Amino acid sequence: MIDPATASSSIARQLTLTGVSVGFGGLKALTGVSIDVRPGEVVAVIGPNGAGKTTLFNAITGFVPLAAGRITLGEERIDGLYPHDISARGIRRTFQNGGLCGHLTVLENILAGLHSEVRSSIVGTVLGLPNARRAEREAVARARSLLSLLDIGRLEQQQAGTLSGGQQRMVEILRAIATNPPLLLLDEPAVGLAPPVRIQLIEIIRRLAKTQNIGVLLIEHAIELVMGVSDRIVVLNYGEKIADDAPAAIRSNKAVLEAYLGHG
Amino acid sequence: MQPSIDVTAPPTTGGPSRRIFWIIPLALLGLPFFLNDYTQYIVNLILVYVLVGVGFNIVLGNLGQLAFANAAFYGIGAYATAILLYHYKVPLLLAIAAGSIAGGLAGALVCLPVLRGIRSFYLAIITLAFGELMRWVYINAETWTLGSMGLHVPRPVLFGWVLATEKQKFYLFLVIVTLIIAATSNLLRSRVGRAFMAIRDNELAAASMGVPTALYMVLAFAWSGFVVGTAGALYAVLVRQVSPEAFNLLELIVHFGIVVVGGLGSLAGSIVGAVALTMAPELLRDLPGYEELMIALMMILVLLFLPGGLATLLERATSLFRQTYYRD
Repeated sequence: MIDPATASSSIARQLTLTGVSVGFGGLKALTGVSIDVRPGEVVAVIGPNGAGKTTLFNAITGFVPLAAGRITLGEERIDGLYPHDISARGIRRTFQNGGLCGHLTVLENILAGLHSEVRSSIVGTVLGLPNARRAEREAVARARSLLSLLDIGRLEQQQAGTLSGGQQRMVEILRAIATNPPLLLLDEPAVGLAPPVRIQLIEIIRRLAKTQNIGVLLIEHAIELVMGVSDRIVVLNYGEKIADDAPAAIRSNKAVLEAYLGHG
Repeated sequence: MQPSIDVTAPPTTGGPSRRIFWIIPLALLGLPFFLNDYTQYIVNLILVYVLVGVGFNIVLGNLGQLAFANAAFYGIGAYATAILLYHYKVPLLLAIAAGSIAGGLAGALVCLPVLRGIRSFYLAIITLAFGELMRWVYINAETWTLGSMGLHVPRPVLFGWVLATEKQKFYLFLVIVTLIIAATSNLLRSRVGRAFMAIRDNELAAASMGVPTALYMVLAFAWSGFVVGTAGALYAVLVRQVSPEAFNLLELIVHFGIVVVGGLGSLAGSIVGAVALTMAPELLRDLPGYEELMIALMMILVLLFLPGGLATLLERATSLFRQTYYRD
């Protein structure tokens, strides 16, 4: 039984980055970046190409090591952990180029997202013991109820690789929230989507954040989407944070305008 | 809204029950009554190759790694069993289990370069080299293997009963093969199998879903080695002669052919592939000189017109044979 009360997720926790730096050889990809993401808050990260946005995500999820600084989730320090350990603590992400498993069906993709929640031992699984089978059935039921959240249950048996771009994004987001993570990282969720689908996506992201108290950190280029969806916007430029404010304030921020439009 | 478990969720997709898969081995119990000693030997050999295909497919099809140490796992299983039976007169089932475990350990060992981040062509050449290295070991570890002469395995005895005929061996093989296929099916249709596939399709995404990728790679290789090691053990019992040339590159190509002709990533495909590629040379025995040609043509035609392997035909016939990675 997947009990929401004991799932890793139910405790809302804040993500805190303090003075995070990442370097690749001589190149500094991030320099002293500090960001908070509170439960239920949608924070957008924007910045020109090469500003360090995806590196920021890779640092939080443990794919690249920090050169300096610390990252905590709630009380716990998470930098230095393996990616799968960070993920098991409730930080889930989507990928810029699509992170679905193309040969698995939609249902199997969601089930794969539930990996750490299916409680079954290897021995029980191999022997097909009742415990393992029950854990499987419950995971399948839960995956189906997740699909119904976005009303895409009919796609259940379709291979993920054959879905349209918009459908793939939805499945990827559902897979990422399958475990009720306290924190969701979305890397350019709207890229390649038609405008009406983008609006739908904004609504979905806000609804998830507010109703499930999930902290959302998202990278996006589409500025109208960012303005509509986020509570706060963080602006990166050459690996440094140059602004961190409400959308309206960012619009008139001088440093941001300079970074985007260049010096006059 | 909390995504709670919806009790009114649609029931299972239904369709025919998978229970029929237990009917197949039960029906096979009657097979020996229709066979002579020679055809029975071929059927036993098919059972051996079924395990070869099922095991190889886990690494190749499910985990998606170009690792070609399969003939080595097969040889290690065969030699472990043969050595225990020949030198130490160990009870039969124990010797077979030792062959399986030796294969599993070899699998975990071969996984080490994968954990170092070696993939695709580089992994292929390393694992091929491992296979050839093992042949050198078989030839030179004469104290145990008797070198290139090979080991002559004594007549198998099961709990005091001598398995003198091919039919008697068949029942032992059928039980072992059925149990291992059932276990593999259970494994693949669980979170473990999904983790294998997730790693194959997208390793980074798998890690970010909480899958400890290194652990699951070791597990896939070890299980693959275990299954193929069991095949080797049964081969030793069946043929009763284990020598180095039985585990050469040509043998590996047959293994590869079984998996690809059957269907990558399909359990049913491995079984059908093993049946097809083991029976074909026997059926073509009346065409001396054309045998290899016909087999090569068959493989080319299957892959030209059925890129998904023979498994595609099965899936078209009934959805039961579509490999799923969950169970309702």
